[in-house]
Order: sequence, then structure tokens, then C-alpha cells
Amino acid sequence: VSLVPPESVSPHVLCSFSCSSLLCQRSPLRGSHWQSSVLTLRTSLPVRAQPKKKKKVDVRREQAQKDRMKKKLKKLEKAAPELIPIEDFITPLKYSDSNRVRSLPTLSPEESERRVLLLKKWCLFKQKQDEAEKKAIQCLVESQQEALKELRLESEELYQAAIRRDEELFPFQREGPTYTPPLPGYDPPEGKCVDITKVYTQ
Amino acid sequence: AAAARRPWRLFGAMCLLRLPQITQPLEKGEEEMAALMGQIELEKSCYSDHEIRKLQEEERLQRRKESLDDDDEATGKTVIMAQDLEDKWEQKFLQFKAAPRITDADKKNIRTSLNRKLDSNLMLLVKQKIGNQELWLLPQVEWQPGETLRSTAERAMATFLGDQIQAKILGNAPYGIYKYKFPRAIRTEDNVGAKVFFFKAFLQSSDFTQTEPKADYLWVTKNELGDYLKPEYLKKVNRFLLD
Repeated sequence: VSLVPPESVSPHVLCSFSCSSLLCQRSPLRGSHWQSSVLTLRTSLPVRAQPKKKKKVDVRREQAQKDRMKKKLKKLEKAAPELIPIEDFITPLKYSDSNRVRSLPTLSPEESERRVLLLKKWCLFKQKQDEAEKKAIQCLVESQQEALKELRLESEELYQAAIRRDEELFPFQREGPTYTPPLPGYDPPEGKCVDITKVYTQ
Repeated sequence: AAAARRPWRLFGAMCLLRLPQITQPLEKGEEEMAALMGQIELEKSCYSDHEIRKLQEEERLQRRKESLDDDDEATGKTVIMAQDLEDKWEQKFLQFKAAPRITDADKKNIRTSLNRKLDSNLMLLVKQKIGNQELWLLPQVEWQPGETLRSTAERAMATFLGDQIQAKILGNAPYGIYKYKFPRAIRTEDNVGAKVFFFKAFLQSSDFTQTEPKADYLWVTKNELGDYLKPEYLKKVNRFLLD
């Protein structure tokens, strides 16, 4: 900080003080406005400045509130997310009434015998069906391998073209078979389908 | 690079399958099991709202018959009973006529139509001239250098059914091969025999009104193939047909 002699100070430097014109008249001429005595003089003249104590307290209170909110948010986030209930596994309470229980005649021993034998026959039937399927698939794979072997013997480039992956094959979509074929010229009844499934978000 | 001339001529053939549109009928064991499953499900279930309503109304009717005096609830009011609802639903169901599972073409055994044997796979067979014989074969065409075997098979399909055919070919690789040597009369050093590579495709579109097939054609099931194909050829084709 360089001290400039008061005589050489020009009037426009005085006006560059950030205080009011009143202050300019009252405070003695100072060369550089960084001098601390000017600041001390300012505090003794609280004409238009805001009360600083209230500002600090406000700022502190606001910050404290923000911190409390942040802490609460962190606690909530740390808690494990609620599991989405599986609607199918929860039996509604109205089906546990006693009047809902079906009254049927008890099974005779012949009937239960017949059931057990039928289940065993079914087991065997399904096993044979599964084996037949696996054999058919095995046969198909063998046939394909044989074809590829012969193709390789013929020409290498055709073989390479054949074993390349077919990009357009998947995704493969097909409508499954129904019980009766589609009725030509069938006009389905008018209606709107409203979806009422509950959607849960975590 | 010009490869050395191989003695075998290559052919690409297409096995076009029309997939089943209806479910196959259940076998005896399956039917018995299905009945048993239904019975067990019924035994393990509870009464539904509709059934409870029906039981209550039956009770009320019984009470009214026994007491022979009008209940104070039902004077003048027409109440729809659960039994009436059931009757109404039954009537509505009987009015609906579904398409028959066994079509006309089935009954008359018209083998050129696609509308028969809706519960099994149908394959396309065409009559082709090989050498000096007219044979029933899967549509095949000779391979030309510069194209893959898959495109040969596609070309075979297009020559017999037109360009507008929509089929999903299952992959680039052939499914089977039929190798045969020419009869001694036409066999030469360079031309020993032919290899026919089979490709499989699923038919997507089912309207053939625009395209007229160029040759005699048939749509047959796997069991009926034996009526038309030669035994050796049939053996090789049967290997890659799942049915």
C-alpha cells in the first residue's frame, strides 16, 4: 500500500468511494480506500447498511435445516427397498371362510387305487414320449452333420457359407395352434379391454 | 479361384413345411390323465362367488317350497337367479358355430389343397424330370457357381411357387443330403453323380391365389410321403423331418 500525499488527490478519486456522499464529507481525505481506518469509521455510521447479525443467523439456520433434510434423505435411502408383493401367492382373506369349503364324497379305496395306477401309466407314457423326442432330435443333428461333411468334401467356400450364423433367423415368432381353425369372415363382438393390474414401483 | 472340376453335380432342394394350425387330438392316456387332473383340481378348490350365490338361492327355493308362503323379500321383485344366468350362457355358447377341424378337403382327400390335415405338417412335393424319368421330389434346382446353396434352395422354391412366396428358411446349413450315382449309360469321368442338399423352411403366408404353380404339386404329410418318394430318397428325407 503506497501512501499518496493528500494534496495530489484529485476529486474523482474521492467519489470512487463506495459509501454515500455524506460519508465522503465526514470522513477525512484518504488516499487509498484500502486503509483500515476508513473501515472503522464506516462501522460507526450505520445509516443504510442492513443489520448483519440477523443475516448470519438466517444463513446458519437455513444451512442447519438443509443438513437435517439431507441426513433424513440419506437414512431413507440406506433402508432396504420394500419387496414387491407377488399377488398370486397371497390368498385373499375372503377365501378362508368355512362356508367356502367344498363338500364332496370321500374317495373310495378303488378310486384311489385307480388314480395311483393311472399316474404310474402316465409316468411311463411321458418317459417314452420324451425318449422318442430326444431320438428324433439326435437323428436330425446327425443328418445335418453328414450333410455338412459331404459339403466340405465338395467345396470349402460353400461349407464356410453354410456354417455362417444366420442373423435374420432370431427373434423368431410364430402363433401357436388353436383348437379350431380360424373362422373365415368372423366378426368379433365390440368391446374394450381395461387393464386393472396393480403396478408396484420400488 | 477356379477349383478343379468335381465329379459330383450339386443340387439345392427346399423342404417347405406348412406348420399345423390346430392341436393334435389327445391320445387315450392323455385324455384319462386330463380328466383326472380336472377332478383333483375340483376337489382341492373352494367355492367361488357364483357357486355360493347358486347354493343360497337353491336353499331359498327349498325353504319357499316347504313353507308354502311367500317370503317377504321376493314379493313383486323379479330376481335373476344364478341358474338363469348359467342357462343364458349355455344358450349363447350353443349358438356359436366354430370352424370344423376336419375340413372338406380332408374328406375328399384333395392333396393339392393346403386346407387339409390342419393338425400336422404339410410338405411340398413337385413332379420333376430327372434324366428321362418323371419323379415326385422336393423342389430342387441345380447349383450354379457364384451362389450359396441356400440361395439355390430359395431359387428352387421361387421357380415352382413364384416370387411372392414368404418362407422362413431355418439357417444357412443344409439339413440332409441325398447322394446318387448316375446310371452307367451317362456316367462320365467328370459327371459321376449328383448330391442333393436339403434345406428346411416354414411357410409364412398361406394364400396362393396369385401364383399358379408351374408343375404338378402336392402337399403331403410325413406318413403320406411313402406313397410318392423312392425308398432311398425317402429314407434320407425322413431323417430330418420331426413329426
